[in-house]
Parts: sequence; structure tokens; C-alpha cells
Amino acid sequence: MSLAALIRERRLVVCVGSGGVGKTTTAAALGVQAAKAGRKVLVLTIDPARRLANSLGIPRFGNEQVRVDLAGPLGVPPGGELWAMMLDNRRTADDLIARVAPTPERRDRILNNRIYRAIADNIAGSQDYMATEKLYDLSVSGDYDLVVLDTPPVKNALDFLEAPGRLARFLDRRIMRWFLTPYDEKRVFGRLMLGTSAVVFRLLGVIFGREFLAELSEFFFQFRDLYDGFRERHGAVERLFRDPGTAFLVVCSPEAPSVEVGGFFLRELAERGMPCPGVVINQRHRVRHAGADPEAELGALARARAADLAPHTAPRLLARLGAAHGRLAALAAAEDARVGRLLAELAPGQRAWSVPRLEGEVHDLRALDRLGRLLLAAEAERWPAAPPGERL
Amino acid sequence: MGVAELLDKKLVLVTGKGGVGKTTLAAALGLLHAEAGRRTLVAEVDVLHPSLPAVLGGSGGYEPEPVARHLSTCNILWRRALEDWLDETVPVQRLVRLVLHNRIVQLFLDATPGVRETVILARIHSLAERFDRVVVDLPASGHAVSMLRVPHIARTLLPSGPIRERSEAVLALLGEPDTACALVALPEEMVVNETVELVGRLAEAIPELRPWGVVLNRASPPSLSDDERRLLDRLRAAVEEGGVSAAGAELVAAGRWEAGLEEATRRALDRLAAEVDLPVSTLVRLGAEGGWGEGDRVVRQVARSLRRQALREAAR
Repeated sequence: MSLAALIRERRLVVCVGSGGVGKTTTAAALGVQAAKAGRKVLVLTIDPARRLANSLGIPRFGNEQVRVDLAGPLGVPPGGELWAMMLDNRRTADDLIARVAPTPERRDRILNNRIYRAIADNIAGSQDYMATEKLYDLSVSGDYDLVVLDTPPVKNALDFLEAPGRLARFLDRRIMRWFLTPYDEKRVFGRLMLGTSAVVFRLLGVIFGREFLAELSEFFFQFRDLYDGFRERHGAVERLFRDPGTAFLVVCSPEAPSVEVGGFFLRELAERGMPCPGVVINQRHRVRHAGADPEAELGALARARAADLAPHTAPRLLARLGAAHGRLAALAAAEDARVGRLLAELAPGQRAWSVPRLEGEVHDLRALDRLGRLLLAAEAERWPAAPPGERL
Repeated sequence: MGVAELLDKKLVLVTGKGGVGKTTLAAALGLLHAEAGRRTLVAEVDVLHPSLPAVLGGSGGYEPEPVARHLSTCNILWRRALEDWLDETVPVQRLVRLVLHNRIVQLFLDATPGVRETVILARIHSLAERFDRVVVDLPASGHAVSMLRVPHIARTLLPSGPIRERSEAVLALLGEPDTACALVALPEEMVVNETVELVGRLAEAIPELRPWGVVLNRASPPSLSDDERRLLDRLRAAVEEGGVSAAGAELVAAGRWEAGLEEATRRALDRLAAEVDLPVSTLVRLGAEGGWGEGDRVVRQVARSLRRQALREAAR
């Protein structure tokens, strides 16, 4: 499948990968191209670089979807719209509670519970969960033809995919039932002093302290009948991830750690049966004329243009260009070797799309458009279709 | 305030945006400590695929493992840290054995937010007592902040009990003058943005922790004279006019690539000087580096560079 077909046909594209590899930029660039293909697109991002957010006009708080002005020069046809939103964790969590809570009183009790506050605001992982939560809402709303999600950078590929499961586990019915029992003090002694329950309760009391356990019981008590709602939601998100209308796009740079993480993602997505058409490799360096001689290629020109400059400027710069070119060639060769190893991990049908490192950083619409066009035009690489003699 | 001061710290936490060279810096600091004859541990934090073995050796296991004279490495796996923590915390060992594998307890500890961070920090605390020098390769910025703020959350949520006590001990350790946090950055705009934000977020989340400073990795010091730069611009104009061979254009592009790296370095140093009230050290970019995938060569070079900087500071 080509990237052009991907952004025309899929309804959800999830960009995954480690930090600093251009995930947000790739998501936004694909969004621009999808709008140019006439689709109504939402790019959902987690924490974009300030200048990218500014150029897209995304407010940093409040879960607000804003339309990006793609006027004139980009040539967007009627129907093509680009929207962007930055995920606000706390807001998403509160919306979620408001939706599943049966009464306003229950909602407020949960929202004011200190444990809930700590979960919603502060703890690593809740961002992953909230991203999947909001994503589901937006994907099924029918408001957009395509949603492109830029996932939070993760240390382990598993973190993001497992996020919905983690919260569902915390609210597991067995944990809840177990905690709800001691909530009712009268029944505590009847039940908990028998068997393992008593030991477990004592242990948790030792670890967390009795006051915290009481508060936790209150927390679970408030959630007592909301569990099914979370569980259903978890199942629905899982189904959405496996839907043929969904695509996980692995994004990486050609640096060693990033390529390695790209490989983990490919394997984990495959194990989980998530649809993954392939890998985007950003910021690649390419050299086609290794060993080029600066004197032969540029000598006369450099001397002619250096007439008014300090003596020896031309030979010094020529030597410098030769050395820089040699370093660039070495870098490109090291990248080719690493990318080759990644290509070897692609399953049949999967592709890799490489885009060159662009001069300057990508943070306005024009640069995003340019990157997007390069992405769509990128020649798909696959294993083992390397030209003979190339080190792969 | 410089590299020499950083080398005097007993506990150094290294963090920064993903992919900037945290592991390389942590490993290089470890090498220098060990060469100075101090019993040193370099630890990474609960990683599925440990990267220290590739640069310092060892197997990436939980228990500190000697990899060179005076130098050990480990991977602080949270489940093992939890077992250790329970062993130290719960007076009755039989109780621990009995319930640790209880399904409810497993589910509960697995799912309760903050447990993972608490036991990892507790482990760092106890390792710091066993070695002369400990360098921790923390997770990337956001996750590092989430981890380091847990002791404060625990203090708010838990009025008493062992987690509360341990969190107090961790906060005391992080606040010691011998503890410091080193931030790694690259001369790229987005990375510098995140570094500036990270300094603020750390100060807010855990004011006890002293940020030692920023290490600007892969820096390119200026090397072109003004006239060379002028000539490079003229050659570029010639390329755009179409009067240069493809190979010649690629040579010019290579020159502009390096000139661009130098310019980015200058901008990054200017911004860090203006927006971060911390000392900034630089590590010069090394050829076709591939980070820790390339073995220990890069780490040794970085260690040499740090040692030279420390010596220069001492001479000043």
C-alpha cells in the first residue's frame, strides 16, 4: 500500500515511535496531504513543539478542535479540511468520568477524590490512556474522514498499546469487590479475618497505611458500577486498533536507538495483530557521489568566485568541502546499514518510506506541505529488493 | 560550576529528551568515576531492552554486575525492586512470601499508580548507600518528571506508613548537596525547547533536586572563516543557477550541512544562555556516530572529552 492510498482510504492513522524522530511533524504533514486529497482530517497531537503548534494555531489546553487555515497556496480542494487538536489529559479524564458517572453527585465525588486527581494529573501512563480514550471518541464521532494520531513518545513500545488495559485492570472487578468489602466496616471483621484476605489486607495496610486504604476504598466505592463502562470502552478501543480502516505507521530516524525501537514496534504490532503498512524513516542523509573530487568538480569555479576574498580561501574551502562530504558519506553509509537491518524485519507487503533531512526545521504549513509531498513521493523500499552490491 | 563539580557528586541523575545521548553521558561519567578508583554503579531504570550492556558490558540484570575494575551496571526492574522493598518494609517475611503471589495483590500493585516509581526510587536510594558513586540513566524528560514527582504526591496522599517514610528519605537524598541532575540536549530547536521546559518542570515538580547543568551533545564548534562562508554562499548560488555538476552540488551541500550544524550549535548555546540559568557544557560531535549501537568507542571518547574539560576548569 502506498502512503497516498493510505491517507485516502484509512479512517485512522496512528504514528508510533520513540521521541525526537519527527512523529508529530510526520502526522501533521500527512494530515495536510489528506486535506489536499479532499478529506476532512483531524490531527490529534500530544505535545507539539511550540512553533509547530503556533503555526497550526492549536491552543495548548482545553481539548479544543481548531480548523487550520489552508488557504490559497496549498491548493486544497472543496471538502478538504485540516483540523488540529492538542490533547489535554485532565480535561479528557474529566469528560470520561462525566460520561460514565450515573449522577452529577457521583461525578463530583469522583472528580474531587484525591486519588482520582493523582491518577488523572500526575502519573506516567495516564497520558497514554487518555490519548486512546479521546482517540476513540473522535474516530467514532463521524465528524472526520480521517484522524491522524501522534502518540506520546514511549520508552517501551508496549506502553501505549497497553494503556487502555492498564486502567481497566486497576478498576478490575475483583480488586473492586475486594476493596468494597472492607468499606463496610461491619462486614470487615466477619470476612477479612479469615484466610488470605486478612493477610492481604494487613499487608496492604502495612505498605500503604490505613488512611490511604480507607481513601482507596472510597475511590473504588465511587467507581463500583462504572467498571463495565470502562471495560466496554477498553474492548471497543482494542477493536478499533485492529480494524482494517486503521493503520499503525512506525516512524523513526536512521539513528541507531531509533531504528532499534522501530524494530520493536514492528514486532509488537505484528504480535498483536495491529494493521501496520510499514515504516517512515525521517531525516535520512544520502550521498550519491561518494569520493567526488572537490578540485575537479568545483576548483575553477571556486577560484573565480573568490577573487575578492582573502588569499587561500578557495583551497581551504575546497578541502573543507571534501572532508565534509567524506563525513556525510560515512554517516549515510552507517544509516544505510542500520536501515537495511530494519528493512529485513518488514513482513511481506510492508514498506519503508525514507525522506531526506530537510534544511531548517519544519514548523510552518509550507514546510509541512513540502515534507508531506516528499513522503507521498518517497520510493517504497522493501526487503530484499536492494540493488546488487549495495550493503544491506 | 562545571564538569569537575559534576564529577564530585555522589549521585547523578541523567535525563533529557529521547535520543539525545543520556545513556552515553551516564556511561562516560561511570567510566571516569571508576578510573578515579571509586566504586561506581551505572544504573538504567526498568528498561525492556537494556542499552548499558552494549556500551559498558554486563547483562542488563537487576543485581549490580561488575563490568570493569570498580565499575558495575544494573537495570532497576520494578518488580524485583518491589520484592526487595517489601522484604525491607514488611516485618514478617512469611507474610511477604504468602501474599506476594496472591492474584489480587499482584493486580493491585501492578495497577496502582505510583507504586512502580516509588519502589524504583527506593531502590536508587539503597544502591546509593552501597556505592561511592551512582549514575542513573533516567527515562526521557516527561517520564523522568513523572517519576521524580511521585514522592511529593505520596507525601500529599499518604499521611503515614512506609511509603510515606520512604518518600521522605528519597526526597532527602535527592536534596543532598552531593546529588545532582544533568540534562542532556542537542543543538536542535525542538530539543532545546524541551530542555528549557524540562528545567522549569523539574524545578516545579521536585524543587529539592539541584540541576547541575546542561550538556549540549553533538555540538559543532565554528570552523569556517567569514570569507569561507561567503564563498560557500556564492557556490550555493552557482548550484542554484545550474552551473555545477551533480557531484559538485553534493560537495556544496555537504559543506552547507556542516555549516548548518555549526549555526544550529551557536543558536542552541545562545538560547540556553538566555533562557536557562544553568552552566552549559558541550560535547563535540563525533563523525558518523551511531549512539550506543556502535559499542563503547563513543563512550570512551566522551569520557576523554569530559576529563579534558574538567582539567581545563581546574587549570583556570
